[in-house]
Amino acid sequence: MATPSKTPPGADPKQLERTGTVREIGSQAVWSLSSCKPGFGMDQLRDDNLETYWQSDGSQPHLVNIQFRRRTTVKMLCIYADYKSDESYTPSKISVRVGNNFHNLQEIRQLEMVEPSGWIHISLLNQRTNEPISTFMIQIAVLANHQNGRDTHMRQIKVYTPVEESSIGKYPRCTTVDFMMYRTIR
Amino acid sequence: LAERLYAEVRSEEALYLLATCYYRSGKPYKAYRLLKAHSCSTPQVRFLLAKCCVELSKLAEGEQVLIGGVLNKQKSQDDIITEFGDSASFTLSLLGHIYCKTDRAAKGAECFQRSLTLNPFLWSPFQNLCHLGDKPDPDQMFKLSALPNSTLAPPPLHITPSQNPSHRLDTALMETPQDTLELNRLNLESSGKLTSDLSVSYIDSSLISPETGSLLGNTISIASAGSLLAKQNKPKSGRNLLGGPAALSPLTPSFGIVPLEPSPGDPTYLQNFSATMETQTTASSKKSVSRIGQSKSVFSQSGNSRDVLPIPFNQSQTSAPHTSGSPQVLSPSMSGPPNVQPRRSSRLFTSASSTAKENSKKLKMKFPTKIPNRKTKCKSAKTSNSSNLNESLDILRLDPSLSLPDTRIPQYQRAAADSVMALLRELGRGYQALCSYNCREAINILTSLPPQHYNTGWVLTHIGRAYFELAEYMQAERLFSEVRRIESYRVEGMEIYSTTLWHLQKDVALSALAKDLTDMDKNCPEAWCVAGNCFSLQREHDIAIKFFQRAIQVDPGFAYAYTLLGHEFVLTEELDRALACFRNAIRVNSRHYNAWYGLGMIYYKQEKFSLAEIHFKKALSINPQSSVLLCHIGVVQHALKKSDAALETLNRAIVIDPKNPLCKFHRASILFANDKYKAALQELEELKQIVPKESLVYFLIGKVYKKLGQTHLALMNFSWAMDLDPKGANNQIKEAIDKRYLPEDEGVQRVIIDPHRSTYYSVDDSQDSSIMTDADDTQLHTAESDDVL
Repeated sequence: MATPSKTPPGADPKQLERTGTVREIGSQAVWSLSSCKPGFGMDQLRDDNLETYWQSDGSQPHLVNIQFRRRTTVKMLCIYADYKSDESYTPSKISVRVGNNFHNLQEIRQLEMVEPSGWIHISLLNQRTNEPISTFMIQIAVLANHQNGRDTHMRQIKVYTPVEESSIGKYPRCTTVDFMMYRTIR
Repeated sequence: LAERLYAEVRSEEALYLLATCYYRSGKPYKAYRLLKAHSCSTPQVRFLLAKCCVELSKLAEGEQVLIGGVLNKQKSQDDIITEFGDSASFTLSLLGHIYCKTDRAAKGAECFQRSLTLNPFLWSPFQNLCHLGDKPDPDQMFKLSALPNSTLAPPPLHITPSQNPSHRLDTALMETPQDTLELNRLNLESSGKLTSDLSVSYIDSSLISPETGSLLGNTISIASAGSLLAKQNKPKSGRNLLGGPAALSPLTPSFGIVPLEPSPGDPTYLQNFSATMETQTTASSKKSVSRIGQSKSVFSQSGNSRDVLPIPFNQSQTSAPHTSGSPQVLSPSMSGPPNVQPRRSSRLFTSASSTAKENSKKLKMKFPTKIPNRKTKCKSAKTSNSSNLNESLDILRLDPSLSLPDTRIPQYQRAAADSVMALLRELGRGYQALCSYNCREAINILTSLPPQHYNTGWVLTHIGRAYFELAEYMQAERLFSEVRRIESYRVEGMEIYSTTLWHLQKDVALSALAKDLTDMDKNCPEAWCVAGNCFSLQREHDIAIKFFQRAIQVDPGFAYAYTLLGHEFVLTEELDRALACFRNAIRVNSRHYNAWYGLGMIYYKQEKFSLAEIHFKKALSINPQSSVLLCHIGVVQHALKKSDAALETLNRAIVIDPKNPLCKFHRASILFANDKYKAALQELEELKQIVPKESLVYFLIGKVYKKLGQTHLALMNFSWAMDLDPKGANNQIKEAIDKRYLPEDEGVQRVIIDPHRSTYYSVDDSQDSSIMTDADDTQLHTAESDDVL
């Protein structure tokens, strides 16, 4: 039996942000967790610090709910998971559901991770149209952990929306400085 | 000490003095409270009170003070003029400012005009008029005819108080001569300052002695001082004291504040001064800008010329030459002639500056070269300066024999004033052109200034701004970096510089600038704007927002900070807050066309195209030559289905600025939308020549070919487009390629997109050639198919 290949780490999301193609919008959303251990809660999940983490404290599946004020296009989710430091707390099966509210969620992605050791990029593109989905709410459900652990650690989660760079017209972004100079008055 | 004096004397003048002290030391609220507590009747006191009110943003009260309140009959402007006498111009200026802030722009403009007619040396009313959008004719404004000769008479200078605390009492009583002095000084100073990078040479002993001359308030002696100078000190540099301070106030948003910029020359000047003089007092250190700001206004107050007159001068003239000995001795001896009054320590302005002015005027006669003399002016000297003046007095006193006939003096003054006027006129024309966004002309005018003026921060900044408005960012950047080199302490134009760098995407330079400015002065909004721009370029919008908000905190009257904040909110998609910000910017400055543009953009994003068009047009009415604006209007019109109008607008834009590639691009896209493929293609080919690396161009060409049915070319162009845009997982391009295949039945292509790598794979059943590009991440396999779209 071949050992399943480990999930390779993705690029650092900060780099992605620099390109200007995506924007982190977690700050515009309301986050909630299904359970957490005191001292290892929401703040630790969203503090941009990979050392701190959220530790759940209930029964599976563990949920992270992200609710937006308005319908937002979301392109990608980035989750940082590290098997070496979290071992049995590392999530192994994650399901992403979107919808309008708690009763209306539909699973759109499910992925399995094998010994992840970095950022995992989960793209939320509509399967048919390859457009980023637009939704009120996202729910990340941890269905299983490595080594069948009960609780899970999540170190960081980021949500990205595509940036409409073109200020005028419905065209994709320009690439040269010459064009960009004339794009807008500041 | 002033407090002691006041406690002792309790007179109106002492009150005024005390209030002035408070004001100058940067605590206008103290002055305000003090003056409010006592009724003030003398115009100068009222003026000071009004100034405090304005600073504390109690505009209504300030107005009331000046005009006389709602209950009493409101005085007309003429009344004010007669009441305030010579300082009426400043008063009117202040009043105009109040009117502007309270939205009565027409009255404000009127006030400014009147104040200018009264005192054509004033620059700030002129500047404010430009800001209001009126187009004051500089030639009209800066005319000397209206100015009575007497105002030009240099009031006797006062020695700064440092030396004579004991004389305070005397001074209290002898205020009048000071007024004239101050008025004069004020006049000159308010005409603005040219920051010049002339340094030491400018300051030379020739300046010094004339100063002393003026110290004695002796026009005659000044002239004599000139010769005296020649005799005694070797004039450091034969110079050119500029006839007068053609100082142009730097672009400070604050009104009426004739900022006194610390001229680098001052300390040196002082040193020279001391060098020549035996006795020496330490040259005052450069004052901080804030100081200047404060002192400035007091000047205006001191400007209350009362009935000052040449009379005291004449007196002093004779007496001056006779003085001898230390300045201290001088003072007492001069106590008779009112002009020499030891300045109270509170008075920060240095007589030196006024003398300098005067001197410069005189000297100007002698030395035709013009050198901005603002340096001397600027000195908001510390008391130590005064001692220098005293010294200068010494020099002067030496020559009793010198005396020029009285008649020559007015002549000299006149000539001096004329040259000042001429310079002001030029600068005024340039500035006004800039304010009406007539940028090319402004550039022409300003570049034709004589080189010593040209190389000053103010002029270069304004030319840089003109280029910026023309969207010629390279030129602007060049000029601004020159400004930084010449005057690294200048903050006023720096926010425009930062935006230029933002447009050019030069993040290194921008972050260096930000660091430098925030280190230098944390209290100026421009520094925070620069920092915000820096982070915005790095796409850290939250931090940028924080910085812009800080800029607003520092100075709520700085419209540009609001605009930039609005742009950041747009980038973070918080359109409501962005709207609020832009509206704030407009509230602060209704001619801020960037804010109108921002509003238009938001409405465009929200697809409220007609609203967008209205706002863009408004911005355009303020700044008619911006090709970017025209471009946007064109696109909006196209969105409103007014394609012909759109094309015409774009044509106009291209005519105005042929270098703007976006105009052509949009024109091409409109032509494409209107199915005029050939024309569109032609445009795009031209564009390709101009900007060969722009992926959008190829993208559009590809679309055109696709429509034309030339799929090979279309694909080729799409692949080039993708090539040129490796970072952007440009869905649109991919879609465009996808759509190419979707309607086909056979030769099915399945498209798999790997989200992690933004790689584009297509698998198809039919065998086909594939086109490979050498893009790093993207690989494009396309299949030719038999069908043509």
